[in-house]
Amino acid sequence: MTTKTLHGQEQQSSLPSEVMQTLALLQRRLGHSSDISIRKLNWPEDSSPFAIVCHLNGLVDDKEVNQMISNINQYVIAKRENDGMSVESLLQEVLPGKLKAIRDEEAMVQAVLDGRTVVLIDGLDTAMAASLLGGERRSVEEPTSQTVIRGSKEGFTEDISTNIALIRRKIRSADLRFEDRIIGRVTRTRVSVGYIQGIANPNVVQEVFARLDAIDTDSILESSYIEEFIQDSELTPFPTMINTERPDAVAGNLLEGQVAILVDGTPFVLILPVTFFRFFLSSEDYYQRYDISTFLRLIRLFSFFVALLLPSTYIAVTTFQQEMIPTTLLISLAAQREGTPLPALAEALLMELTFEVIREAGVRMPRVVGPAISIVGALVLGQAAVQAGLVSAAMVIIVSFTAIANFVIPYFSMSSAVRIIRFGFMILAGTFGLYGILAGVIPLLVHLVALRSFGIPYFLPASPLSFSNMKDVFLRIPWPKAKYRPDYVSEINKRRQSDSSGENPKEKLGD
Amino acid sequence: MHARQNRVSELIASYILFEIGSTTLFFIGAKAKQDAWLAMLIGAALGFVLVLFYWGTYLMDPKRNLFQLFSHYLGKWPGAMLTILYAVYFAYEASRNLRDLVELAAFALLNRTPLFILTLLAILVIGNSARYGARIALQLCLALLPVVIVSYSALILAIIGKGMLRFEYMLPVLEQGMGPVVQAAVPEIVSFPFAQTLLFLVYFPLISSTKKMGKSFFLTYGIVALVLTIVNQINVLVLGPTLAEMMTFPLLEVVQLIELAEVFERMDVLFVLVLFIGLGFKVLLFYVGAVTGISEISGTGYKRWVIPVGLFIFASSLTSPNFSHHMWVGIDVVLNQVYPYIQMAIPLLLFLVMFFRRKKRLQS
Repeated sequence: MTTKTLHGQEQQSSLPSEVMQTLALLQRRLGHSSDISIRKLNWPEDSSPFAIVCHLNGLVDDKEVNQMISNINQYVIAKRENDGMSVESLLQEVLPGKLKAIRDEEAMVQAVLDGRTVVLIDGLDTAMAASLLGGERRSVEEPTSQTVIRGSKEGFTEDISTNIALIRRKIRSADLRFEDRIIGRVTRTRVSVGYIQGIANPNVVQEVFARLDAIDTDSILESSYIEEFIQDSELTPFPTMINTERPDAVAGNLLEGQVAILVDGTPFVLILPVTFFRFFLSSEDYYQRYDISTFLRLIRLFSFFVALLLPSTYIAVTTFQQEMIPTTLLISLAAQREGTPLPALAEALLMELTFEVIREAGVRMPRVVGPAISIVGALVLGQAAVQAGLVSAAMVIIVSFTAIANFVIPYFSMSSAVRIIRFGFMILAGTFGLYGILAGVIPLLVHLVALRSFGIPYFLPASPLSFSNMKDVFLRIPWPKAKYRPDYVSEINKRRQSDSSGENPKEKLGD
Repeated sequence: MHARQNRVSELIASYILFEIGSTTLFFIGAKAKQDAWLAMLIGAALGFVLVLFYWGTYLMDPKRNLFQLFSHYLGKWPGAMLTILYAVYFAYEASRNLRDLVELAAFALLNRTPLFILTLLAILVIGNSARYGARIALQLCLALLPVVIVSYSALILAIIGKGMLRFEYMLPVLEQGMGPVVQAAVPEIVSFPFAQTLLFLVYFPLISSTKKMGKSFFLTYGIVALVLTIVNQINVLVLGPTLAEMMTFPLLEVVQLIELAEVFERMDVLFVLVLFIGLGFKVLLFYVGAVTGISEISGTGYKRWVIPVGLFIFASSLTSPNFSHHMWVGIDVVLNQVYPYIQMAIPLLLFLVMFFRRKKRLQS
């Protein structure tokens, strides 16, 4: 039997019309997993079912499924008398718009696994599936890893449809597009690429799809899987994509011409292409006054340098270039270090490693014992270590300040990069002093200049030079003055607002 | 995307770093004593004539770099010989600057570490930068230029602010007539640093837009020459002509004299790092030039020659037994006897050949 599809093409169905046979087919593929629910509908006088409804437990909304079953009952009763059951009328009458026809085994199995509800009707060789998603999901909550004082408190959840809706709620434009890919042979994870047509660089969008299509793996469990598959260079400590759990950050970046990649099952959305200095901007910068935002950006850059270079500079100066230290400070430093047994390099490495251990313990351990770690950590790293003469007080200050500065960087992926590189610098400083630090800074800089994120130079706007991009990197200029989107990222449609925007009404009030 | 080609800003940045390079390290025009500034200006003016010739050479065939010009205009074998000669010259210049860098490091920072180790570390860092090729080298210059500009501005401001300049050191002007001044300027100052611009014939063809390039380039030349003259003269104005002439690294002594608020006392240690940047980039640009030449003549890839050229630079920077010998070879041997041919005679020959062939072509 052939049926007509919506497009008018004749399509052969490969499913049997006997409902029990179809069910056997399905069960052969899915096994007898305990989470598969099979509901047989039959007349009281007849033991063989006229319809079967099949879905996974916990992934569907039971209320809606029950509603659908009663619709099916009504439909079958109505049609039983005049015997006019057909796929078309079923699709239209039972759940208009939601029910889709399925004509082969593979699609049927996949529909069940995707969480859809599959309906089999005796006498029809076409199965039907409805997306009646439900079940337990985390609600939209405040993001935990990227908090702000002012601005939206919404965070992404693990459900991709909710996440897309959160973005769509902020950008109600017809040009905002989401295109899906299913990646992962086993996990079959839904990955959605969002961009604004006409603002995002079409080459970048094309490149993203090309790289996503090239992924052939069994599983995608988090957006970091995608990140590692599609990044430009693996040999880099620096992230070439931002991950955020803030819908407002994604919306803002989409409007600047970037592309977002959403992955089902994780609240972290990837944004690309990004440049190095983007990691020092927080979405909150745009919600605060521009002067304080500019100041905060400079503070963050300063913190980056502190987190990267402070311990190594301290080692270099105290070990090799003591003449740089003002005399009074030098005397007090020398007095402190007199009793400590270790050279500055070993002392710093020891303290930094201790800190990293405590930090990792703080992340891993159960919440209830949390306070214990802070007490022990503060005592071990602080007072006790100094009093016992193991480390100098100055070193404790250096390590603590470095650790705090590390937390100022708004994106965790960038601060992790700094954490690793810092150790390299400490060893260089311990062996060659300031000369060694310079010998570390230059290769780092070359690497940054040579790095690309989807064809965009990573070290923009410092090199290659772009003054227009600097307006929104080192500074945060007021919105009425930010007339253009940044260079490179968006090559088309650069203008953001008209020249007169936000100017005229104020003049009139002046008198 | 327009990130694939170098931009004028990158050329300008690298030219500034290149010219500042090792120039500020020494007191240039010491023979002219307090009139060093006059010698510098004369040197810059004469150097400008040479730079005009280089620029003319580039303009006549803006698509080819120096090595391609040699083989295209001077024939296969002479071109190949000259390419090798110039690649060796660039590599040798790189090694000289590398030695300067290492000597400075040993003098100011690490006086107990063997030169061998310091040189090894420096060539590793610079070789790693050269590995990425000319395009990234030029972009890198741009990234570091702000650091250099801010440091030199701060230095000049601090010296002026502390009232360290004593203009009476500049008197008497032309104590012994123009003789010593001209002698100091020709050929030494013309040749170093100004005629080294020759290297940029390798980099000019990498730049995407040529429209504004000439104007910005000559403007940069003027400003750099002026700044170098001022920084050079600061040595005289702070230390006096006799002391400036005697010091190995006079500018470092000047920086050491700056004391701000009893906190910043030994700024020279930090300033050494800025000098390292200038020197290192000079090494890098010469290095990349040499590798470009060798890969041009051998017809093989660029990356294959980074390590061999690096080894050559490393080895030849260690040939001088001590710094005095290094300086003697630099000034009395190569600068006075070899460089006039390399920086003036051969480029002029190339220019003339190109000029007449072009004229002939236009006539026919």
